[in-house]
Amino acid sequence: MNDLMIEATGITKAFGDVTALDAVTVEVPRGSVLGLLGHNGAGKTTLVNILTTMFPPTSGTARVAGFDVARDGDEVRGRIGLTGQFASVDEQLSGVDNLVLIARLLGATRREARARADELLDLFDLTAAAKRAARTYSGGMRRRLDLAASLVGRPDVIFLDEPTTGLDPESRLGMWGIVEELVGDGTTVLLTTQYLEEADRLADAITVLSAGRVVASGTAAELKSQVGKRAVHVTLASPQDAPAAIVSLERHGLAPVLDEPRAELRTPVDTSADLAVVVRALDEVRVEVAELALTEPSLDDVYLTLAKNKAA
Amino acid sequence: MTTATVAPTTALPRWRGTGVTSQIAILTGRSLRSLVSDPKLVIFSVLQPLIMLLLFSQVFSGMANTGSFPAGVTYINYLMPAILVTTGIGAALQSGIGLVSDMKNGVLARLRSLPIHQGSVLVARSLSDLVRTALQLVILLVAAVVLFDFSPAGGVLGVLPAFLLALAVSWALSWIFLAIGAWVRNAESMQTIGFLAMFPLMFASSAFVPVDGLPAWLRVVATVNPLTYAVDASRNLALDLPVGNGVAAALAASALLMVVGIVAAVRGFRRSLSF
Repeated sequence: MNDLMIEATGITKAFGDVTALDAVTVEVPRGSVLGLLGHNGAGKTTLVNILTTMFPPTSGTARVAGFDVARDGDEVRGRIGLTGQFASVDEQLSGVDNLVLIARLLGATRREARARADELLDLFDLTAAAKRAARTYSGGMRRRLDLAASLVGRPDVIFLDEPTTGLDPESRLGMWGIVEELVGDGTTVLLTTQYLEEADRLADAITVLSAGRVVASGTAAELKSQVGKRAVHVTLASPQDAPAAIVSLERHGLAPVLDEPRAELRTPVDTSADLAVVVRALDEVRVEVAELALTEPSLDDVYLTLAKNKAA
Repeated sequence: MTTATVAPTTALPRWRGTGVTSQIAILTGRSLRSLVSDPKLVIFSVLQPLIMLLLFSQVFSGMANTGSFPAGVTYINYLMPAILVTTGIGAALQSGIGLVSDMKNGVLARLRSLPIHQGSVLVARSLSDLVRTALQLVILLVAAVVLFDFSPAGGVLGVLPAFLLALAVSWALSWIFLAIGAWVRNAESMQTIGFLAMFPLMFASSAFVPVDGLPAWLRVVATVNPLTYAVDASRNLALDLPVGNGVAAALAASALLMVVGIVAAVRGFRRSLSF
């Protein structure tokens, strides 16, 4: 068996006239995390659905945990866990019954099922709510139960489809902790997200999807070096100050870009100390500033840069 | 989050999966458990037929004196076997609606990600709904005996097969509604389809009045209406009237519907859930 736990080659999926995925190739080595980054509609969930055997690709092949998703669906399903964007739990059943049900369906005895359920409830801080119907759970609890449900069978590969979308910041941090722990235990993870920050924090490698195509892939560092750095966004009080401001910034060794309609100057910087340089440069030519902010590169920047590179 | 037990632990063997029979048993158990934990559902589902029983038995009780009515039969004894059948049909519709709401609440998405046969999910739902319908009909029968003086000539030995026949028809139709649910996937549409199909079928049949008493055009509809045959068979059993080949015909038609329903339901259900 080779050491790729996910190996998808030339995956294309068409829904009628719409091509949701176009010759997508991804490889995820055992024990690593792939971050699948993209906006809504980029094709992330479609790829997850194909890799988790929910539906077959139109063309292309995929192996997960060593088994072909089209031919050996049951083998694949027995080795993966899936947590989607919406909690897939039975609202009528209690937390513990939800987990016991899954363990039993996977072949556990009643006693084993109960033990595994208790273990996971404890792990996800749900012991106190174990006997309550899942419909009474908060959004964050429901997502934790959902993730617990996908871990019942101790999967080799886990798919997390936007695991933190819609969560409050605290629950998001909790979810990140759980993912890091999973990885620490040797699980292979494919994670989809719209947040560069999340992919940066969790993923060993990132694949950027746009309109069903892979537009970039590499480590977070590689990707960021392509995208560039943090930038200082300056909104000028009066747009006619822009030329003077640009001249002064350039004199300080910076490379501002003007967004004319918004009277906004975007200046890439290396360190936050450069923020002071920007302020000084603007002050020297007495340019009045309406707004000033230091921003991290966002998914939008990734997209913009990639689009620009392609056009160039 | 302190212990590291989330991931594959090499010491523990992977569970081997389950056969279709255990899958069905486990999933049926799951649905029946929610029946026990939430008995309101059964109580409410009995309420509507009870109200119909009350209204019809009062409003139409004079019917028993008209010429087209079987001699010596009270209206409640005439009505109750039909109510068993129509309640069974209503329950069959609920089965389809239940499937759609399971699709909404995400359980089915979870079950789909497991290494189990998807048909098990449908069979389990159908079986647990069968138990629920049986419970519903028993409650209704007891209420009819206690509250409305239901005491048909066939006695227990007549009512039991009438009850079983209504149950069989309901089970067969539940597969049709499961099939519709698996394809339509929308609870509101299901309600509308159910309502549009049920009411004309119920009234243009022998359920509430003898077919002979209907206007000529409606009599034609009632004569071709399959519900008439199910109701007649169930009623003749309960009232100890000659059944002819009515029971056999009703069972044969049900079996046919069931086979069609199962094939269509499984095919519809196996389509992806995500669009």
